[in-house]
Amino acid sequence: MTLDLSGKQYANVPYEEKEKLFEEVKADLRYEEYLYGCYECGICVAACPSARFYDFSPRKIAQAMAREDVDLFYVFLNDSVWDCSQCFSCDVCPRKNSPGGVITLMREVAVKNGLASAQEALEGYGRVVYKIMATGTQVSPDMLQANAFPDWGPHVKDIAQNLDAWRRALPPETMHTTETSWHVDDKTLTELYLIWHMTGVMDMIKEVDEGLFMILQDVMEERLEDAGYDVSFD
Amino acid sequence: MPELPILVIGGGPGGMEAARGIAEIGYKAVLVEKRDTLGGTPELASYAALTPDFRDAGEAMAEMAAAVKSAGVDVRLGTTVTAVSGAAGSFVVTLKNSTESEQLEVGAAVIATGFQHFDPGRETQQYGYYEHDDVITLVDLEKMLRAKQVVRPSNGQPPKRMCFIQCVGSRDRQIGNEYCSKVCCGVAAKESIEVRQLLPDCKVFIFYIDMRMYGYWENEIYWPSQEKYHVNYVKGIATEIRKKGDSLIVRGEDTTMGRPMEVPMDLVVLSVGMEPSAGTREMAALFGVKLNKYNFIETTGGALNTVATSVEGVFACGASTGPADLEDTISSASAAAMKAVAVVRKAALAH
Amino acid sequence: MIPHSAILNKAKDRKFTADPAQAPTEDYHEALRELEQEGELEIQPVPEPFIEVTNKYGRTKKIPLEHTWHHKSCGQCGHIPGYSTSVFWINRKLGLDYHDPTDQTSCTAWNYYASATSNAPAQAAVAIRNFAAARETGYFPIIHCATSYGHYKETRQQLIHSPELRKQVRGILAKLGKKLVLPEEIVHYSEWVHAVRDRIAERQVIDMSDVVATVHPACHYHKLVGEDAIYAPEVYGAQRSAIITATMQALGAEVRDYSTWADCCGFGFRHILVSRDFSRSFAVQRKIEVMKEEANPDVLITHDTGCVTTLDQSQFAAKAHDRNVGLPVMSDSQIAAIAMGAHPYKVTQLHWHSTDCRPFLEKLGIDHRKAWAEFEAAVELLKSGQKQYMTWEDADA
Repeated sequence: MTLDLSGKQYANVPYEEKEKLFEEVKADLRYEEYLYGCYECGICVAACPSARFYDFSPRKIAQAMAREDVDLFYVFLNDSVWDCSQCFSCDVCPRKNSPGGVITLMREVAVKNGLASAQEALEGYGRVVYKIMATGTQVSPDMLQANAFPDWGPHVKDIAQNLDAWRRALPPETMHTTETSWHVDDKTLTELYLIWHMTGVMDMIKEVDEGLFMILQDVMEERLEDAGYDVSFD
Repeated sequence: MPELPILVIGGGPGGMEAARGIAEIGYKAVLVEKRDTLGGTPELASYAALTPDFRDAGEAMAEMAAAVKSAGVDVRLGTTVTAVSGAAGSFVVTLKNSTESEQLEVGAAVIATGFQHFDPGRETQQYGYYEHDDVITLVDLEKMLRAKQVVRPSNGQPPKRMCFIQCVGSRDRQIGNEYCSKVCCGVAAKESIEVRQLLPDCKVFIFYIDMRMYGYWENEIYWPSQEKYHVNYVKGIATEIRKKGDSLIVRGEDTTMGRPMEVPMDLVVLSVGMEPSAGTREMAALFGVKLNKYNFIETTGGALNTVATSVEGVFACGASTGPADLEDTISSASAAAMKAVAVVRKAALAH
Repeated sequence: MIPHSAILNKAKDRKFTADPAQAPTEDYHEALRELEQEGELEIQPVPEPFIEVTNKYGRTKKIPLEHTWHHKSCGQCGHIPGYSTSVFWINRKLGLDYHDPTDQTSCTAWNYYASATSNAPAQAAVAIRNFAAARETGYFPIIHCATSYGHYKETRQQLIHSPELRKQVRGILAKLGKKLVLPEEIVHYSEWVHAVRDRIAERQVIDMSDVVATVHPACHYHKLVGEDAIYAPEVYGAQRSAIITATMQALGAEVRDYSTWADCCGFGFRHILVSRDFSRSFAVQRKIEVMKEEANPDVLITHDTGCVTTLDQSQFAAKAHDRNVGLPVMSDSQIAAIAMGAHPYKVTQLHWHSTDCRPFLEKLGIDHRKAWAEFEAAVELLKSGQKQYMTWEDADA
């Protein structure tokens, strides 16, 4: 699918709104080390896997930011940044730019501001976000269900059917778990929730998926209360 | 006080020009060269033809060397400077060769210790100079052009497709050489013409960030290479060179067409840039001369004085102060010679 | 006329040695020490004994031999548990003291790179919380996942350069009763495997001299803060990372090159879950098929959770498109364990993999039918309630 760089699809968005998001990306403390100048040399594109599959160019994104082209930035913010595979092959840049890093900042801004394109990109992803936020490990054994990964092969069904026994058949004592990848202490989880609270991550989740936020809020506030912390995520 | 001689360190084109110039004005020049022959890097690296006039490098260096001798320069081959003391108007230097050490009083010095080529092993892109036989540098190609025999090292056969990759070791913050080496675009274009003359059936590509051919070089080399010799210029530099079967694969982006490219090549030439030579660093340390952040000798006069160093009476010319083409080197050598003469003359008149 | 042999020999005689004096970057060791002296953070030193390796610019890096705190990978422990099990098993076989913590969270980077539902202070705080937890046990952190490793290297750079971030993180951790601690080195477990490869080879019981392997280095290992990765002059002339390749060579296997060596596997973080056509296409067309066509290997070895997952699990669906697939994929820890005689199912847990490893096990002379029967028998004991868990002793029985 070809990317439409004309921006006409966002002609109705007020310039001030686009500019505000642009300034937010630039204000991140990491921005000045992620983007210097650009030679337009194309090494980043040469190394990029997404450039071969999508109409995606880390060079164009870096250049749009370097030129401070707010309209072009807004097109990339909505239509392009979620194609990036975050491999950081583009860190090979001879100017030491990190187009992948700039894209990370752009994604954070998209999420923080509840852009529809961000919500859409993360639609299938809610379960993973729940897992990591609430349980401290990201992809648990019980996520290996045949209907979730039919394309991975018939072994997924075997795993799902034998999950409990096969997990107890693992020698490491910490890994006899099915709902998490390893056993995470209660105290550790409490510390994790406090980190989420203190850094505003839950506010970002609220923007992207309000339902998910509410579930997480319940789980976290309950545990924190049990641990003696009077914390609210609202 | 009699007029003291002027010490010129380095027997390359810069040093030879400065020494001969000093002698022609009627002052004494002592030219010190650590190797056993004059000619500098063009001679050492067996350059074929000079940029941009295509004059035979060997012939040109020999002519300069002959002029140096017939002008009455005191040439000391196989000699290095090992100690320095004193100040402008009167330095005492120790010259050492294989048999003896000698102390000499000189009124001024010109450092003309040139450059060395960037070692592609320090390149952060994966060009594989130390892995693939068919990846060579501009210098390796000059040797082959001199012998009029351009072949793939892997099989000894002439290449059917070859390319140059520009800016290797220059303009690069990953490596730390954040400057342009000035000559590599011109040299690559010149070599591309020479290859096309030698191998009319070989397709030649140049992958570049910017093609920098200043002044008259544009019409003397760039356009002829494209229009007469059909060298293909592609704006987009490479990130990797891999082996695939019998060929090399060069990966880059063709930015004009806006798409990633992977192209097979028989031979890849890395356009390596300039770095300060060991001699430059050594002489700077001995004379107490400040280096700039790239470790070339720092010139202290900006655009209006390209040869003065942080030590009065010590001048530097050519590539010892930064990337320089031959025209720059010859010009700055004369400037250094003139200023050195002025120091010696002033000192003599003052006494 | 220059003889061809002279030209060729000149090419082959080229040797490169990295000179740390010419390194173009600041030395993170020095930067950290300066910050420690200013009271900005605390460094957890690498315990002795350690093994020294060199990284990209010729600088030395210390790899701890033992007393390691294993920072586990969620994707590994969750979906490819034989990968982490093998790391622990090798430690035990080498008689080395280690700690497998429960006071450990995921680095959370998979989620971060996929969904950006986090930010710099949160990511840094998660990292330092784990490092502080390690410090409290006295064991030195060793990182299982290459993404965690790359992410933590970036976090280290950000903390070195931003006083603002340090202040924020110190404040957050203080509320958890912890200090801002950074380990002296950020060590990936594959660097430890590399460092002890000769000890592993000493205990090798499965001959691999007939094995042809291809190697895939993880992007986050050697491209993200790429200078902190192992390079060695005797491997690829120190022009590419020696990681995994040196280990495989120590096991006696032949490592064959292929033209997409440095390509990403296509994991994509988000893509592997919600845009799988990208991951699958990339893994199969840019990696697996190229390897099979150019190198014809028996096995593909890599050293990261995402890479094992992508390269292994992408092959099944590609079969439906008649693609040239069917290359077993495993980690360096799994193949090293197999070389040392580990049970293919009780230890390396190969039944969690998609691509069929049995022909490869047969080539190694391992009776996989017998091994599977032993595993099933062990599982029966668990299912019937006669045993609760498989122990380390059971795994070696």
